[in-house]
Amino acid sequence: MTVDQISSVADRPRSTASAGRGPAADRPRSSMTTRRHRAFYMFTSPWIIGFLLLTIVPMAYALWLSFTTFDGISPNWHYVGLGNYRELLNDSVTWDALRRAGLFAVTSVPLSIVAGLGLAVLVNRPLKARGVFRTLLYLPAVVPPVGAGIAFKNLFDQNAGATNGVLTLFGFDALGWLADPYARYVLIMTVLWGAGNIMIISLAGLQDVPRELHEAARIDGASAWRTFRSITVPLLSPVLLFQTVTGVIASVQTIMPLLLAPIASTAGTTTVPQSNYLYMIHVFAQYFALGRYGYASALLWVLFALILIATGLIFKFTSGVVFYNVDPEAKK
Amino acid sequence: MRHPQAGAPLSRRRFLGLSAGGALGGAAALSGCAMQVSTGGRSSGETVTMMVKPDDITPELVKQAQKDTGITIIRVDFDITKLIAMLTAGNPPDLVRAVGATDAAYFAARDVMQELDPYFAKSSVLRLDDLDPVNDLWRYDGKTQGKGPRYGMAKDFSQDSMFWYNTSAFDEKGVDYPAELEPITYEEWLDNAGRLVQRSKGQTTVFGGSYNGLTKGTLLASMTAAAGGSLFSDDFSRVDFTTPEARKALGWYIEYCRTKVGPSAIQPDPNGWDGPTYQAGRIAMSNAGYWMGGLINTDRKLAEVSRLAPAPVFEGGPRISSCQGGTGMWMPRKARNKDAAWRIFEWYFGEAPAKSRASGGWGIPTLKSLRSLMPAQEDYQKRVLKVQENELEHFSVVAFSPYTTGDSFEALFNQAAPAAMKGDISVDTLAGRLNSAINEQLKRGKEQVG
Repeated sequence: MTVDQISSVADRPRSTASAGRGPAADRPRSSMTTRRHRAFYMFTSPWIIGFLLLTIVPMAYALWLSFTTFDGISPNWHYVGLGNYRELLNDSVTWDALRRAGLFAVTSVPLSIVAGLGLAVLVNRPLKARGVFRTLLYLPAVVPPVGAGIAFKNLFDQNAGATNGVLTLFGFDALGWLADPYARYVLIMTVLWGAGNIMIISLAGLQDVPRELHEAARIDGASAWRTFRSITVPLLSPVLLFQTVTGVIASVQTIMPLLLAPIASTAGTTTVPQSNYLYMIHVFAQYFALGRYGYASALLWVLFALILIATGLIFKFTSGVVFYNVDPEAKK
Repeated sequence: MRHPQAGAPLSRRRFLGLSAGGALGGAAALSGCAMQVSTGGRSSGETVTMMVKPDDITPELVKQAQKDTGITIIRVDFDITKLIAMLTAGNPPDLVRAVGATDAAYFAARDVMQELDPYFAKSSVLRLDDLDPVNDLWRYDGKTQGKGPRYGMAKDFSQDSMFWYNTSAFDEKGVDYPAELEPITYEEWLDNAGRLVQRSKGQTTVFGGSYNGLTKGTLLASMTAAAGGSLFSDDFSRVDFTTPEARKALGWYIEYCRTKVGPSAIQPDPNGWDGPTYQAGRIAMSNAGYWMGGLINTDRKLAEVSRLAPAPVFEGGPRISSCQGGTGMWMPRKARNKDAAWRIFEWYFGEAPAKSRASGGWGIPTLKSLRSLMPAQEDYQKRVLKVQENELEHFSVVAFSPYTTGDSFEALFNQAAPAAMKGDISVDTLAGRLNSAINEQLKRGKEQVG
């Protein structure tokens, strides 16, 4: 580099700095910012509009409905203020359904996460035809719930189901799988059958665990279980948290018991065996079987509030054990 | 290098990502609720929107309607929630399917139905003197079903307390056939079912009989009438299951379920209805009216061993045989193309489709002039027709309350009754619970109607 060149390079910061301070130089930066903002809103507007129209507006409408006796069609509905919420507090069927939904969530979510994670660990190993196993295990997750419901209903039918066919073949009496007390187990089986979804997400998380950490642990003499417990699980903890939160939300909103109900119709909602009569089934019955739009909307708003509280509690109680991959350099 | 950190908060980008995922999921779920119905013309000629089930109007019939009337039919699948949304939005279909027995009074009382008397008065296709009495299910005078203006019409009907039976099953168990034209009692029916049922290792291989009516509301109202009473109070604002007649009907039905001789809420038929199970020879007696002959006649062997029997009676009760369905169509008061809709209504109920239904054996035609088209070529068809013609003499309309839907009644029944079916509570306790739950629903319904 020549002296002239050095001098011209040395001049550059000064001239740039000077331009940066002047109003003329502000203009391009400001227009760049405006363009960025515009692009941001342009790209996010379909989502924002959809969110407003399809989430906020229906929620507000449901909130308004929850203060009325509207049945969807009759002309003489009226406002009842907090009447529906007061009725809800005294409705033992509602509380029983909520208790069952909570119990279902605390049973099915851990079971499905453990099953999904276990499958993910298995198919993450260097197996022959690993892709085939992954596909087969994931397949049930893409079966529509209605199809899954029909398949399970036929499989577990007392008189014509394959499950009882096998039982009777070995000399046992047929069981009423779709009635109490077995119906709850069939419901949990439908959840576990779809654990491929959790497996895929866990698998992605497993493949993100740095290999060198496992190698270091092995050199230090850690057992496979210790490595899994002390390295894999902590690094997977954000994924597990995500699955817990979405799993709890999905499980309290499940309508699978309806698809397994003895009578597949609106009026059949209430034929769901008592152990599977979960909160959303009660909501569905109030809306569509009994036409109590106001009361059902109140039930949904209470559920929304409870889900928010449950999510908050999950975040609070897991804050000390969930590890996020954060790049400290990015904070500087 | 990225390092794990315990308890680190969610980054903004991560939060936005998660929120977007959640919102998209919610939006996707809700988008199913949105719907649009166009009543505008797609080409020359008028357009009529019909909310029906796929079997009501096949694509071939849509084409035929275009050919016969010049009117284009846009078919919307029937869904009560969708219907309510369309009515609320002021954009209803032009014609809607409904069950006359349970829906007609309910919708009429809510002032969403178009009164059709002026249209009937002018029609040369649907003449009042040609209408079968079953169409009275579509009349409502503001208080009682069966009287007052007409709001719709049934496409066909059956007397739904009758039953079919398979003679092979009776022969196999050495049980006498029911008399051809005289009814057996409900007690005899249950006794026969108990003798005909076949079980093995905890499984029911052949149901002795199925007796569930079209809906529990119409079943119990009809059975209470057959016991000589009325399930509803005179103004239809209350039910009373504790009257001797209603208690008799309820007790019989609970006994039928408890003994598990046939499908019920505690012993469901996976097929969802009797048709395929009867065809497979797995039901000895099936509570269904004439319409099931349409299915049975498709299998000659089955038709030859099948018999239609009169509706049972209660000991000492009157002989009545009601229609629990009377499915047909109505025109919403805010329909946009009423004249075109009426033309399609006439065509559907009185012209080619009506004649085709009548000759198919899937129900009794609702125009008396079409009765001659009912199938009577084969011996088994003649036999069935003889029983059916005799049964028509005992036809009666059993009115249903305008303050509840059939679905609501059934949902409340299904909620309370299984405990009694399993023997956990007595029939009297059940009667009290049903009175309480259904009367509360009727009270709400009455307040809504005003």
